[in-house]
Amino acid sequence: MVDMNVRCPRCGEIVSFSGIPGERRVVSCPSCGTDARLSFPGGEIQTSENTIEVSHLRKVYDDLIAVDDISFNVKKGEIFAFLGPNGAGKTTTVEIIESIRKPTAGSVKLLGKDIKTQFNAVKEYIGILPQEFHSFERLTVRETLVYFSKLYKKQANIDEIITAMDLTEYTKKLYRNLSGGLKQRVGVAISLVNDPDVVFLDEPTTGLDPKARREVWMVIANLRKRGKTVFLTTHYMEEAEFLADHIAIIHKGNIIAEGSLEELIDQYGTGSTMHIKKCKDPMETIDILKEKGYDVLSTGNGDIAVKIPHKERVLEVLSDMRHACIEYENIDIRRSNLEEVFLNLTGAKLAEEK
Amino acid sequence: MNLRIIGVDFVVSFKGWIRSKGTIFWSIFFPVLLILLFGAIFSGSDSPSYTLQIQDLDDSQSSQMYLDMLKNISILKIEMINASENITDYIQKNDLKGAMVIPKGFGDTIALSHIDKDASVNLSFYFDPSDQGSTSVVRSIIGSSLQEFNLALSKGSHTIGMDSVSTITSNFKYIDFFIPGMIGFTIMQLCIYGSIERNTKYRKDGILRKLLTTPITRTEWLLSKMLFTMFLSLFSTLIACLIGILVWGVVIHVNLWMITIIFATSFLFSGIGMIIGRFVKEEETADTAAGAISFPMMFLAGTFFPLQQMPMFLQEFAKVLPLYYVNEGLRNAMISLDFDKAAYNGIIVIVFALVFFIAGVLLTKWKED
Ligand SMILES: Nc1ncnc2c1ncn2[C@@H]1O[C@H](COP(=O)(O)OP(=O)(O)O)[C@@H](O)[C@H]1O
Ligand SMILES: [Mg+2]
Repeated sequence: MVDMNVRCPRCGEIVSFSGIPGERRVVSCPSCGTDARLSFPGGEIQTSENTIEVSHLRKVYDDLIAVDDISFNVKKGEIFAFLGPNGAGKTTTVEIIESIRKPTAGSVKLLGKDIKTQFNAVKEYIGILPQEFHSFERLTVRETLVYFSKLYKKQANIDEIITAMDLTEYTKKLYRNLSGGLKQRVGVAISLVNDPDVVFLDEPTTGLDPKARREVWMVIANLRKRGKTVFLTTHYMEEAEFLADHIAIIHKGNIIAEGSLEELIDQYGTGSTMHIKKCKDPMETIDILKEKGYDVLSTGNGDIAVKIPHKERVLEVLSDMRHACIEYENIDIRRSNLEEVFLNLTGAKLAEEK
Repeated sequence: MNLRIIGVDFVVSFKGWIRSKGTIFWSIFFPVLLILLFGAIFSGSDSPSYTLQIQDLDDSQSSQMYLDMLKNISILKIEMINASENITDYIQKNDLKGAMVIPKGFGDTIALSHIDKDASVNLSFYFDPSDQGSTSVVRSIIGSSLQEFNLALSKGSHTIGMDSVSTITSNFKYIDFFIPGMIGFTIMQLCIYGSIERNTKYRKDGILRKLLTTPITRTEWLLSKMLFTMFLSLFSTLIACLIGILVWGVVIHVNLWMITIIFATSFLFSGIGMIIGRFVKEEETADTAAGAISFPMMFLAGTFFPLQQMPMFLQEFAKVLPLYYVNEGLRNAMISLDFDKAAYNGIIVIVFALVFFIAGVLLTKWKED
């Protein structure tokens, strides 16, 4: 326990509070009732700027290499997305970092500690949401959060988490009666009960409908505001695009590309693509555009896709089409996205919905 | 070891239990129902009894002695037929299933047998061959009583022991037999299924993985779960006993052996559940496997019916089943107060418990591959 003397910002009273090193909680001034958020000193176990350092990690199952010698760092305070299709090795990697599985080779430093020997020392500072997590069916949302928080020495304020995760109206509902999206939100909330520095979310939105998925995204975006480092695995590129500061694309156990969204698109994208819908005479149009030196592709139904390496060339294409009197129903221009980055890198589609 | 964490986890198990209709049914209503049902079915006939009609044509001291011996067999109800009746007519007139006649000269022959080793006399047993069931029981009882009687005669002793026969005919009622069996069965079900839920459902749902990353230790988790399991076992024992006492007037003795056997049984079947959970990953399949193990065991271990009513090879087979020793031990401790046997059976249960529980803990995969 550490003691802290603070001066109330409103009435100027000096008040003493004690807390666990590293604890953050809201305290009230005994004389005027003003609330303030206190961070107790100590408990900062991270020393370097990297929250997670993974080097040469390998995991082999019998004759299957699930994770093949990967290395990467996760910086403090960022949302790091581990993006890859089913079976890429995401869960294997994240569960090795969480000390749930043993690596075949390689090392992991979590919050500056080697997990092989010091995992117990970081338990109080991490929160995880396992893949396809289902909590105790017959506990209410509040009871669930209280149960998990009581396992820790360092406990966050449950009411605050409930508010932040937008669960206020469900606190008395049994977990089993919640919708899939709510269950995942409770899962994220559970991972926060010890006010952790790092949160691991393994495919938190898989199987949810688009609306529920967006709601979970909001909750995750909220974690960044709370200063958490987030390690997120997903096979939805929109999820990584929407949430991540840094993306690592994993494919067949290897990290095949890494960087911010912009960096990845710049490096591996194909610029933009102009989609010409319902051409009157697609074959002729393709011939005309090919003659002009464009990379053209028929996408069926009389639709045509034209690769546009530079933005400036959009107008060029349009004027060329006008001169050739090409008729069409409409046009849209799409920027390269992660899906395309993945396709370019692997020749395979990233996410096929079940 | 953190007692606070163990307490927190215990409370959660408790809440999950009282909110689950299924487990409440199996741990409370099912035993109550069966005790009421079986108690009602068998309350009329304490233990099965047979009426034997006897005509004593000899009316000597020896025949009196033999009759007294038969009257001491509680499973038999002796009714006398007047010596003046013609036995075949009498049987037909009264539609008797069986009757025995002690011939004239029974006593004289016995007296003679002290000098002449070859002297013999035969009792006549009249029976209705269409009713094999009860007559064969009666015949075998008469057969063994005669052996006793002969033995007693050759020793020249008047102290006629009936021990070997009286074991089939205890003074206890069926319900006395049934309640300990029901307790053993209920504990078995609670522990196996509870343990399977923790080792398959909790694993599939990620709860075990989640807990691995929290400060609760494996020992604390296991201890909390076993404390709760023991609580549940005691609770359903209490319910079964209460119904037995209040509804059927069973006399139940609570003692250290009874409690010891109940706790050891909890560990025993929790261990078996853990072993099943280790090899069968799906909860439904594991439940089926548990049923495939526990239901035959229930029938073969003398839970609801005395083993003596089963064929010999099944009686021998029962002796490898842990539940058999649980049932027997509980009967010895709670009902018949036979503490030598309670200790014998109890120690076997403890050994089974140690073996299965330790195997369960060692086999359980706490971490993932
Ligand atoms: N316990 C295991 N035993 C054998 N193979 C496994 C095991 N766990 C995962 N794998 C295999 O390792 C590969 C990576 O799996 P996983 O990490 O779960 O992928 P992701 O989470 O990206 O979908 C897959 O081919 C999977 O079949
Ligand atoms: Mg996965």
